[in-house]
Amino acid sequence: MSDSASGSVDKSVQVKLVLLGEAAVGKSSVVLRFVSNEFQANKEPTIGAAFLTQKCRLEDRVLRYEIWDTAGQERFHSLAPMYYRNAQAAVVVYDVTKASSLEKAKSWVKELQRQANPNIVIALAGNKVDLVQPSASSPGAASSSESEDEADDATATPGETPGSPGEPENLRQVPREEAQAYATEAGLLFFETSAKTGEGIVDIFTEIAKKIPIEHILAATRGTTRPGAAGARSNGAQESGVNLEENAVKSKDACNC
Amino acid sequence: MSTISTALRNFKEPTKEQLTQIFFSLPSVGSLDGTEKTSDQHVEKMDINAVLSLGVQGVEDSYAGKLHIISPYLTFTSLDRKSVRFTIPLSTIRRVERLNARAGIYALSLSTWHGMKIIVQLTSLRPTADLFCSLLRDALKIELQRGQMKQVKGFVKTCYSEALVSTTSTVADNEREDGSLISEEKENAGPRESTYHGGLGLRFKFPGDPKKLREASKIKLWATYLRTHGRNLTLIRYPQCTRLVQVGLPNRLRGEMWEALSGSMFLRFSNPGVYEDLLKQNEGRTSTSTEDIEKDLHRSLPEYAGYQSQEGISALRRVLQAYSFKNPELGYCQAMNILAAAVLIYMSEEQAFWLLEVLCDRLLPGYYAPSMHGTLLDQRVFESLVQRCLPIIHDHFQDVDVQLSVASLPWFLSLYINSMPMIFAFRIVDCFFCMGPKVLFQVGLAILKINGEKLLQIQDDGGFLNLMRDYFASLGDSAHPNSSDPRARAITRFQELLLVSFREFSVITDDMILSERRRFRSEIIHSIESFSKRSAIRNLKTLGRFNKEQAGLIYDALYKAMCIVPPPAPVNPPPMLLTPNDGTEEKPETRIQLKTFQYFLSEIATWARNEKIVMNGFQQRVDRELAEHEFIDRLFFFWDTSCSGALSFQDLVSGLDGVMFNDLMENIEWFFNMHDKNKDGFLTKDEVLTLSESFLFIFRYEVGDAYLGAVSRFMTNAFEYGDALLPQSESEEPVNEGDEPSSPSRTIESNQPYLNLATFRMVVLADEVLESFFETDLSSSFRLEPVPDVELPVSNSGLLGDLWSTIATDTNKKMFNMFTDEIGKTIGKHQVMHKPSIGRYTKLEEPKARESLLTPSMRKSPSKVSLTASTSRSTLTTSSSSTLTVDVKAEPAKAFPNIPDSAAGFSPMVQAVNARLMERTAFAIDDAKDDEDESDGELDDNENDDQVMDEVDAFLEAHDSGLTDADKEVANDLLRAEPLK
Ligand SMILES: Nc1nc2c(ncn2[C@@H]2O[C@H](COP(=O)(O)OP(=O)(O)OP(=O)(O)O)[C@@H](O)[C@H]2O)c(=O)[nH]1
Ligand SMILES: [Mg+2]
Repeated sequence: MSDSASGSVDKSVQVKLVLLGEAAVGKSSVVLRFVSNEFQANKEPTIGAAFLTQKCRLEDRVLRYEIWDTAGQERFHSLAPMYYRNAQAAVVVYDVTKASSLEKAKSWVKELQRQANPNIVIALAGNKVDLVQPSASSPGAASSSESEDEADDATATPGETPGSPGEPENLRQVPREEAQAYATEAGLLFFETSAKTGEGIVDIFTEIAKKIPIEHILAATRGTTRPGAAGARSNGAQESGVNLEENAVKSKDACNC
Repeated sequence: MSTISTALRNFKEPTKEQLTQIFFSLPSVGSLDGTEKTSDQHVEKMDINAVLSLGVQGVEDSYAGKLHIISPYLTFTSLDRKSVRFTIPLSTIRRVERLNARAGIYALSLSTWHGMKIIVQLTSLRPTADLFCSLLRDALKIELQRGQMKQVKGFVKTCYSEALVSTTSTVADNEREDGSLISEEKENAGPRESTYHGGLGLRFKFPGDPKKLREASKIKLWATYLRTHGRNLTLIRYPQCTRLVQVGLPNRLRGEMWEALSGSMFLRFSNPGVYEDLLKQNEGRTSTSTEDIEKDLHRSLPEYAGYQSQEGISALRRVLQAYSFKNPELGYCQAMNILAAAVLIYMSEEQAFWLLEVLCDRLLPGYYAPSMHGTLLDQRVFESLVQRCLPIIHDHFQDVDVQLSVASLPWFLSLYINSMPMIFAFRIVDCFFCMGPKVLFQVGLAILKINGEKLLQIQDDGGFLNLMRDYFASLGDSAHPNSSDPRARAITRFQELLLVSFREFSVITDDMILSERRRFRSEIIHSIESFSKRSAIRNLKTLGRFNKEQAGLIYDALYKAMCIVPPPAPVNPPPMLLTPNDGTEEKPETRIQLKTFQYFLSEIATWARNEKIVMNGFQQRVDRELAEHEFIDRLFFFWDTSCSGALSFQDLVSGLDGVMFNDLMENIEWFFNMHDKNKDGFLTKDEVLTLSESFLFIFRYEVGDAYLGAVSRFMTNAFEYGDALLPQSESEEPVNEGDEPSSPSRTIESNQPYLNLATFRMVVLADEVLESFFETDLSSSFRLEPVPDVELPVSNSGLLGDLWSTIATDTNKKMFNMFTDEIGKTIGKHQVMHKPSIGRYTKLEEPKARESLLTPSMRKSPSKVSLTASTSRSTLTTSSSSTLTVDVKAEPAKAFPNIPDSAAGFSPMVQAVNARLMERTAFAIDDAKDDEDESDGELDDNENDDQVMDEVDAFLEAHDSGLTDADKEVANDLLRAEPLK
């Protein structure tokens, strides 16, 4: 419970981070992978927003990410400012198998650049790369569990079956180069990620951590200790934290519970 | 890419009538696609004071209240509006008898389909009671004729309660403890004996431990209640009913009770087959909503076994899709999937569909709309209630800048289903359907109150959310784990939550929520509208040379026009068969059509509106109306760069950008291009004439003749230069001396390229008036500032002046205007003047206005385009008999251009202008002053605390039957009374 962890985080720097992007691109899954190193095949859509925290170490500093995972559907848009106000970082997520999701991502970036905290660090994440990679961890492999199969159903465009494992590339709708070029032009960090395999997830948060003007935040925050709010997440993964320099990811899938 | 919605304009206070409908869970008129209200156009309505008793003695007390006929329903509510009530379709009433009772007592016995007798003593005056009875008789007759009476039998068979109360039924033999069916696998055991509807729970089991939920005893209690108090369509709600709901509905009965309590059952009853038809009619259709639905199907209560099977998923898909087809404006909103998935555990698809309708339409109004205004409004209301009931928590949240709605928004949006464990959430949903939306607020307040101390410790939004999550996870724990009393220890945190909700926050009433909504409605509308304005501006690809404020003014004008003439619903580009779902489809975008554009332009361009300054001695006002002219249509198509027959916000901004910043030369070019339809760099003769007409249109209200003169000179010169400069190759015989004036040789077809930009420029620059028009007046005839409503009550009549301030509604104003006009006319002070669009010349330049067009001195060139008007002074309108001849006299040296046929359309215009010119009296017109008095009254009537307390007191007097002992005796007597012969 909240009180137990308080006091132990005096030295950490709090970073408020918000996730934005079209519905079902995998925002919640990205956070879940980062925070608990888990993947759930069928995550419920986020209503309003969800809140999670994760501590991580970067060189000698401890960062505590306060992550706001927002709802993706267009009509929740007007609520977004409530969540991105005062955010120091944003991860704007799109789905590499869905071209329109990049367009939505661009409009989020535009909005953030105009409306949010002027120093906000923005990262662009092209999620679900596992679907377009012919690697061993790609779907359809004999070893995959039932829950994985369902994930594929859920993410595939309606009426289509997920691309045959032989040619996964045809699922890709956003070329890496195109997104990369856009990110460079707009001054964003860029990654292709997979919440399912864990690829690229930790990297986003590492790079953001590097780019955040931490001294600035330290100076700005009214007293670094915030009893009650600190370490409030009762999740087991929280205590251990994530070492950002270490990129190993367990490939354990979450059970369907 | 953006959509602009004016839907919020319709987000109004519910009317009294609607409130009655809401109170009695009646289907709202119009929510049914005509099937309901076609035969009896006007709904019969009447209410009467009555005392209700059940026809079985000793079961329930009698209650005083009001009986209503709201055809085709009969409804009753006790005086306290909460203890007892019913809503019964008239078609379930099988017999009405007048009872033979003591003198002066007027009582009816109503027998329902279920064999139950309801006795109502009509306590109003005799004639009123007679009238009520005859209305009731008529209404019943209509129901009989409609055949609704016959529907009842089949319908009740779909209700589980029938099987439950039937003494011969063996339903229980085939049920597990939790109510799910045992024989699910014995499929070839013949057709299922029962025809009642049920949900996925029958097959996939119901959530929760049936022992802990005490299913068996709950079912028994309900069976008893339903036997004696009516059921499904004829359910009568006594206090016992609410209490039974509060301890949790049994799984097996839950779906039907939700239907009955929410009134969605009436929709299903009166719309048989509609759900199936809707699906059939829209089979295979896709839309943004169906796409969004697909994304969420596997993400709706995924932990429930039913949604790990195709059966559950397809049921969910069908229900959500059907709703999105039924209400395309709302479509689909995330969170609806969670609700639908939840109710489908307990209900059939058809039941769930109608329940969803009632949820979105009546119980959670505006929650799932594209702007989610209902959600935002209720969040604001909730915050205000927290401030009022829990001021310390509210103040702390303010201090540490924590937003209540980060936690509470999903509570309301998903009826707590995705916030707390399902079994608990469903119990809140039970109460919600039974007691109405106030339950959401009561539970929310109770959650905060129970966690009060810890909430005062939190420092930020994150801490708040974590605390709430932990609390919800612990709802099954004991509320008093350290108590020595085992009974206290047995109370769970969830029970504690309900107790606090309904005891301590019983002060929260429907009326209070209504009045709070009233208080914040306009604030919310304003903030949503300004948000969508900002995002529409942000989404513009280019602002051109406008700044954001200016773009905002353009948006405002567009918005205003859209309120007058709504554009067609923003649609996705038509589905392309060859590229299904490749993700490249454009987002829907709002585009306005010509009619809306005309209103838009009339907000911005001075010449796109007709403004009459009316003076009648009491007031001076400006009557404004839309101008219609081909020029405006032309502009519309000129700006429609994508040739889609409709303009987006971006088109309008770019279009205005193309004219408002122009200098002289650019304006000339702009005007030229606008009339060069095929964009070949040449105007045809036709187009030259149209262009002249455009001039005349723009100048139609200018004072004096300077502009008319200029246009006439322009035409002369244009044709003259045009001919002179005709490229040799194109004119076979440029000089054709000696031609008869009556038969000018056609050197060039009227639709052939004729005048190029350079020539046009030359002609324009030759004229001072036109030059100044293009130099500044054209650009500045586009004005972004909102057009002021000019109303200048003149105080020379104290009486009328006072009157004015008290009648300031639109219709009243109109009447007032007419009234004062009439007076003005009789006292000879009525004057009407047209306000000029340019207004450069505020005086008549030439007093000899009438002749000016005709005098030869005006024609600087030798060619003779003479505009002769035989004047008709009688009227202003174009129907005047004045004729205009464009008389072409060819100079011997030149072949004079033939005036093409289009001149025919041209003449009435000139004619009208001329006629007006004749009529005009010389007046200097000052720009009417913007002297609007902002008399917007504060509409919000502040909640009166005393009133609230009164209501609280009323609420606490629980279940007061409102009857004296003597009354009760009479009521008891009636139970024994015989029908009158
Ligand atoms: N194959 C694959 N599927 C993923 C990945 N990330 C998410 N998904 C699936 O995509 C679906 C949507 O994921 P969510 O994380 O709920 O998406 P979201 O962006 O949070 O959606 P909203 O809350 O509705 O805005 C789920 O079924 C996930 O299992 C990924 O990296 N690879
Ligand atoms: Mg999410």
